[in-house]
Amino acid sequence: MGNSDEEDDYMSMFIAEPTKPQQETSIQRRARKEREAEIRGRVKSKAEKQADEAAAREAALAKSLDSSNKGFKMMEKLGFKPGDTLGATKHARAEPIHLVIKEDRGGIGLDTEKKRKFREQVEHEAKRVKADEGEYRERIRLEREEKRREGQILNAQKVAERLDNEAKDVAVLGEVSNTEPEAQGKSSDTQRASEPSQSINVLWRGLVRRRLEKERERRMRYDLTQSLSRLPTYEDPDEDENYRLALGKENKWSSLEEELEEEDPELDEFNGLPSDQRLGRLVLYMRDTHHYCFWCKYQYPDGSMDGCPGTTEDDHD
Amino acid sequence: MADRRPDLEDNYRVKRQKVVEEPLGKMRQNGFVADVKGDPSKNPYLAHHYQNEASSSPPQLQNNKRHATTSKDAELMENGPLNAFTGKPLSQQYMSILKTRRDLPVHAQRDEFLQLYQKSQILVFVGETGSGKTTQIPQFVLFDDVPHLHNQMVACTQPRRVAAMSVAQRVAQEMDVTLGEEVGYSIRFEDKTSPKTMLKYMTDGMLLREAMHDNDLSRYSTIILDEAHERTLATDILMGLLKEVVLRRPDLKLIIMSATLDATKFQRYFHDAPLLAVPGRTHPVEIFYTPEPERDYVEAAIRTVLQIHASEPEGDILLFLTGEEEIEDACRKISLEADEMIREADAGPLKVYPLYGTLPPQQQQRIFDPAPPPRTPGGRPGRKCIVSTNIAETSLTIDGIVYVVDPGFSKQKVYNPRIRVESLLVSPISKASAQQRAGRAGRTRPGKCFRLYTEGAFKKELIEQTYPEILRSNLASTVLELKKLGIDDLVHFDLMDPPAPETLMRALEELNYLACLDDEGDLTTLGRLASEFPLDPALAVMLISSPEFYCSNEILSLTALLSVPQLFVRPASQRKRADEMKDLFAHPDGDHLTMLNVYHAFKGDEAQKNPKQWCHDHFLSFRALTQADNVRLQLKRIMERSELELMSTSFEDKKYYENIRRALVSGFFMQVAKRDGSGKTYVTVKDDQSVLLHPSTVLGQDSEWVVYNEFVLTTKNYIRTVTAVKPEWLLDIAPTYYDIDSFKKGEIRTALQRTIDKIRRKEAIKGGRK
Repeated sequence: MGNSDEEDDYMSMFIAEPTKPQQETSIQRRARKEREAEIRGRVKSKAEKQADEAAAREAALAKSLDSSNKGFKMMEKLGFKPGDTLGATKHARAEPIHLVIKEDRGGIGLDTEKKRKFREQVEHEAKRVKADEGEYRERIRLEREEKRREGQILNAQKVAERLDNEAKDVAVLGEVSNTEPEAQGKSSDTQRASEPSQSINVLWRGLVRRRLEKERERRMRYDLTQSLSRLPTYEDPDEDENYRLALGKENKWSSLEEELEEEDPELDEFNGLPSDQRLGRLVLYMRDTHHYCFWCKYQYPDGSMDGCPGTTEDDHD
Repeated sequence: MADRRPDLEDNYRVKRQKVVEEPLGKMRQNGFVADVKGDPSKNPYLAHHYQNEASSSPPQLQNNKRHATTSKDAELMENGPLNAFTGKPLSQQYMSILKTRRDLPVHAQRDEFLQLYQKSQILVFVGETGSGKTTQIPQFVLFDDVPHLHNQMVACTQPRRVAAMSVAQRVAQEMDVTLGEEVGYSIRFEDKTSPKTMLKYMTDGMLLREAMHDNDLSRYSTIILDEAHERTLATDILMGLLKEVVLRRPDLKLIIMSATLDATKFQRYFHDAPLLAVPGRTHPVEIFYTPEPERDYVEAAIRTVLQIHASEPEGDILLFLTGEEEIEDACRKISLEADEMIREADAGPLKVYPLYGTLPPQQQQRIFDPAPPPRTPGGRPGRKCIVSTNIAETSLTIDGIVYVVDPGFSKQKVYNPRIRVESLLVSPISKASAQQRAGRAGRTRPGKCFRLYTEGAFKKELIEQTYPEILRSNLASTVLELKKLGIDDLVHFDLMDPPAPETLMRALEELNYLACLDDEGDLTTLGRLASEFPLDPALAVMLISSPEFYCSNEILSLTALLSVPQLFVRPASQRKRADEMKDLFAHPDGDHLTMLNVYHAFKGDEAQKNPKQWCHDHFLSFRALTQADNVRLQLKRIMERSELELMSTSFEDKKYYENIRRALVSGFFMQVAKRDGSGKTYVTVKDDQSVLLHPSTVLGQDSEWVVYNEFVLTTKNYIRTVTAVKPEWLLDIAPTYYDIDSFKKGEIRTALQRTIDKIRRKEAIKGGRK
């Protein structure tokens, strides 16, 4: 009953319902009685009965006789105290012998053997699941780590490139300080663009290459839409030299093409390194060359890099 | 204590002899009683006995100094020509038996035994099976202790009735005396002794009962507790008791005999008594284990027996199983398979015999038949296979057994005070038991024992020793006995293995409810009276109260019937017919009344014309019924002695059966179950155990309350031998037990409350009318 009341209250906002001690109507009572009778009258299955029987037996067996027992009171008069054992000497039996009912014809040791096998299997299974679970988690963790590091590498490459370019620009600026900045910028840009990729630091050469590849793809797509049926690299022998010039079709593709298709063992070697090593090299490069700490995101004024806790990400936690 | 004996010796002799002088029926032993006044040959009244002997008079018992004889003295007397105890000439048969007796292992150590026996009050004697201890040691004692000259006896206890009877028989033969005269036996409901008896074989329970009336056991000069290793309830109690008695009676000698080498426990218990060990005559037994645990031990056992038959050389097989049904089933299967082996593989013939306690004696006897001969002269030898319960483990010795198959189980009594169930359960045996079983293969020649479990299981799963019976029994009747024995401090009574305190608690409580003990734990008049009966307290109380219900004759019969084994025979092949026959006697109100009907019919004229045939025709056990008849007679004597009136309600009276049922309640009100709502299940009162009526019951389904005789614990809980009762009777006859406040809320309490209300209403109406 208590439960059903609680259930009624469940949706209610009020703490105390004034209608709570409501009398059950005769119909309700009859319904309840019927329900109860049905539960009582339901014929239990053999297995259920047996389980009930065993449960009742175990419950009774687990409960020891206590001081409410008349026999206990008689024994108490003889100096018996709870927890004592009988007899003239110590170490007598304190508990009745446990009842074990044998339900099958299994030989001696079969149960233990079964239990042992079962336990082994369970243990084995648990180990396997655990191993699987651990492996999976570890794998996912590593994958995430890897991804994150690749992102960091990319960032570091960008930073390194920027730092390098800035440093070069400063150097160029020092050389031709009187030239106009705009022109300077242009010149350095073009200079860079035309720089052979082999000369770019291997640390971020990959980045440059990827950019170039992207650029080419973009162009090719653009050209495809522009020139319709022709590949951008198509060289029409009949085409007018001027046309070509007017359309901006310089012959610069060839070099890029070559470069991109060229084997670059140095880059391959670098890319073959594990991500943390690649990142480490990038970080160290920036520190050594530019006094820049990738983790502090700060370019220190001198080589001592005073204030930076260390070279790794962990140092910066 | 023992040191004082020599000083007392002479005094005792004088005293005893004085006693002997009195005409106590001892005069018939003319030969030696008369020596009071010197050499009997000089006695003029006895001169005729000695006329022919001239100068070389034979050795005389009375010429030896008591407790100072040697084996030589005894052997001289044993050689005859006259029987040292009866004075009669010794028979030819005696002489031939004497020869074989002298070959027994114990004989070689007779002197050693005598020295220790004379020196010490308590002696622990270890003799393996086959050493001859049970038959020889008591005789050794007789020649040295000469109890009859002191108007005393030597007692030798046995755990089993059959053993007490058969050993007494054998020893009477060995001593060339009539059973029941110089050598007798005493078992419950049967006393085969006479005033002449000097050696009494008896069940340990009987000696305990005797101690109730004679707390010092003064009739005995020496008490031998045989088979003490079996640790029966009575032996354990006797040991505790005798440990005290020996202090009060320095002249009493006590010998504890055990068949197992772990006798140091007995030594320790008896203040480091000296120990004498005699090797048994056994041959080595090779033991085999299975590599894997067996899925089905019965099936594995059958397989093993057949394998032995097929591949092992000549020699009989002994297979241990747990119960009648299992044994009969296995016998059938082995026979069938063996027949096929004979037809198809030309195996030798195989005879299979079952052996269990309830088997009729003539069928039990068949196990001693020799193995069958080969089918054709010179063919493969035949063998017999005995499929037995653990009675073949110690009590019965079958020669010719060379192979033992041991699945490692036996049916053992268990008792748990928490649910008050005493039942037989199939349980693993102990290591000691397993060794004993294996030993059975080495009686005639080197043998083999096939254990149907792994060596690891033997080491790890089996307990060292079987739990002594005292730890596995309801102690109500023991407590009553102890109280009668004058042991008041039951809590500190020095037992070898004291049971769990709860067991004693429950026993005291039961006795209190039965009004045998008062709230202080002291014996009541009813308790004292109940202890006179060799019965369970509930049965005794029922019997004592029966005159109040005008049916003591009927309750007397019923008590006798409940004290004997199964009345109804139900052979596997004729179950239907047997059940039909049982229905002839069925009383709708229950099994107790049905049993009574059977007994009355058995005592009727028609049945008595040829009782054996009548029993056979009606699927009843003639043995059980005659035994019940005998028990009834014994109990009747006790009732008469206790001045309990024997009466009956007239059979025509409609209360005839009701009175009997009410009397049943007076003893068994603690064994009541109530039907659980609808359906077949019952719930035991107070313990709330869900039970079913045993399929053998004749009781209809519509009885709400029943008393039961037995709670049988198997995979299902059964109550067996049930009779319908009314709740009013429970409240009326056992108001303390049925005190409504002692019941927890539930169906039983509600039902009892309803009954109380009903009674009140009735009384109010009655009162109103007046």
